Amino acid sequence: MSISKTKGLLGQLVQLERTVSEFSFEDLNANEAKVLKNSFDTFRSSLENHIYSPNEIQAIPEKIEPKAIENKNISQKQFIAHISHEIRTPLNSIIGFTNLLNEEKLTKGQHKKVDAIQFASNTLLKLINEVLDYSKISSGNTNFETVDFNVHSLLHDVMFLCETLIVDHRIELLIEIDKNVPKNIKGDPSKLSQVLLNLLGNSVKFVKQGFIKLEVFAKETYETNCVLEFSVADTGIGISQEKIDTIFDRYTQAEDDTFSKYGGTGLGLTITKEIIEKLKGAIEIDSTIDKGTTVTFRMPFHYGKAVAVDTKIDNNKAVKGKKILVGTEIMVFEDNQMNQRLIVEQLTRWGCKVHANLTLNKGLQILATKNIDLILMDLKMPNLNGFEVSRAIRSHKSSKVNTTPIVAFSADFTEHDSNDCKAIGINDFLLKPYTLDHLMQTLIKNIKAKVEHADFASILQKPMIEPKETTVVDLNLLLKDCFGEIDMLNELIKLFKLNAIEFIGNVKIHLNTDNLKEIALSAHKLKAGFAMIKADGMRKLIIELEACCKNDQPKKVRELYDIFLNDYPLLEENLNKALNFLNKK
Amino acid sequence: MSKRVLLADDDQLLASLLNFRLEKGGYAVHHSANGKEVKEYLKNNIPDIIVSDIMMPYFSGIELIDYVRNELKSKTPIIIISSAGNEQNVLTAFELGANDFITKPVSPTELLVRIGREISK
Repeated sequence: MSISKTKGLLGQLVQLERTVSEFSFEDLNANEAKVLKNSFDTFRSSLENHIYSPNEIQAIPEKIEPKAIENKNISQKQFIAHISHEIRTPLNSIIGFTNLLNEEKLTKGQHKKVDAIQFASNTLLKLINEVLDYSKISSGNTNFETVDFNVHSLLHDVMFLCETLIVDHRIELLIEIDKNVPKNIKGDPSKLSQVLLNLLGNSVKFVKQGFIKLEVFAKETYETNCVLEFSVADTGIGISQEKIDTIFDRYTQAEDDTFSKYGGTGLGLTITKEIIEKLKGAIEIDSTIDKGTTVTFRMPFHYGKAVAVDTKIDNNKAVKGKKILVGTEIMVFEDNQMNQRLIVEQLTRWGCKVHANLTLNKGLQILATKNIDLILMDLKMPNLNGFEVSRAIRSHKSSKVNTTPIVAFSADFTEHDSNDCKAIGINDFLLKPYTLDHLMQTLIKNIKAKVEHADFASILQKPMIEPKETTVVDLNLLLKDCFGEIDMLNELIKLFKLNAIEFIGNVKIHLNTDNLKEIALSAHKLKAGFAMIKADGMRKLIIELEACCKNDQPKKVRELYDIFLNDYPLLEENLNKALNFLNKK
Repeated sequence: MSKRVLLADDDQLLASLLNFRLEKGGYAVHHSANGKEVKEYLKNNIPDIIVSDIMMPYFSGIELIDYVRNELKSKTPIIIISSAGNEQNVLTAFELGANDFITKPVSPTELLVRIGREISK
């Protein structure tokens, strides 16, 4: 049934095996090499097991009842689902260890070979994922949703995504939605967009110039339901009549050289057709070579209830949010090209600098050398999943890398995932599909967390503090926090001064016995106060003092304490001046 | 009737400001400066929300969450106040059932928004 598919797999495997055997293992760390080889062997033997034992089932006599054939088909599909899954596990270790290998000191020639292994294994993984996706749908292992959704906004979202895919301006993207298309319908929005994106994505691939047009209208309307017809027409290379007959077959591409020219695994249309048929729809293709192709599909839908569309951000908030986001650097780990483009586009519009399209190694490199404010992480990446990437980031030795806030996003967020997130140290989550408002809020909330860190880290790197800085205060913010009530401000400043005096006394006592733990605690308590009166210079000094306590550097603690004793009276003077000024006002 | 907030923080300065702002925001505030007082108070009162510093004498914010969730079996929302560099504590707090956290230096406005959000949930 799937000779060409098997061929594809085998071709990949042969290539993979050849590159591995050409690799000179002698020059490597013995352990690494052993692990790499073992995982490859496991992978091969598990593959062989699957291939040789189930073959016996296929040796069943030719005459089979129709029902038996159907059963056999289902079991074969489940078998494919199973085997794809089994292949993925060892393949993941191959990819993982190859990545590790690439980090070691290798000769140029060895690097080239490792790259070849990486390329081949990634291609294989992509292929397996598509096979898995296909078999899941066709064996009925995929759950279809039934929810109310606004079909118009879905169509516009899809078109927006496609626009970002088109780099050539000679291609025009058109959409026409008939008036008779109901606003809200009931169905599976994510599957519908998958189908549309697949078809439109195909067009984008095969059209060099001209247009791509999506048309939608209600072909039949009844009291409670309707049949919608969607058509995607393009001015692409077209498909010959005899190829149209087989284009939906598993793993066929229109021409033998389609893959080398246009890429893809050949499963896209097959998956699309399976989805449409599972949703009780039908699909057909009409095409003329060199003129273009029109793909039409129809699907029944029940009318739906209105859903709150919440994609627009309150203007005021948006302006404020943008101010915070402008100039921030955000890293995006997302394997789905469409989603990646969408999010990169959005972040760029908000003025963020975006790093996307990354491997783990590249990402770590950027984290170590640039100031990344936040990482957006898709949890369900097929390659190295988001949990693994996050774990690698959190366990990195540099604090610059391992403290960067991570926001995970995922389409299904089960309880299990959420516990994993906490355990790894993922800071926050975004549930797909998210609104722009929600995205912005989550970014702002978590970027703020980082500012605290950056502060802390930069202070540790800069031990010398200008004496003047340590005497500066600013009461305006605190007064605002008091809603302008000057009495409240006076009360707070009184408390602040008491805290400072208490601190001076405490440190003096504990310095006699070198009790740095108590001093650290006192310093810690005082930080909030200096933050409130915006005495940033003095606050930094206190933070450094606290850090020196923790690092057991009594001599440095004494030095910093002396600076504090020297500068605090000046600070208090400034504080009194500022307070008097406000009191007179 | 106004919602009752239990504010547990040993920093008199920060607590005063928060107390002031919470009362302005229409909340009835009970302030406790240490864990012992907090425990005493919770024996007879269940507030609508608890805001607690992680670092407190006698009875830390972490212990407080554990006490509220596992001994009192109360689902009262808890927001914790933590310092930068205390991520591990925050994770532990979430694992024990804290609903939200806010990092020092605390912006009173932000805290009020977070409180409002938890209470309206």
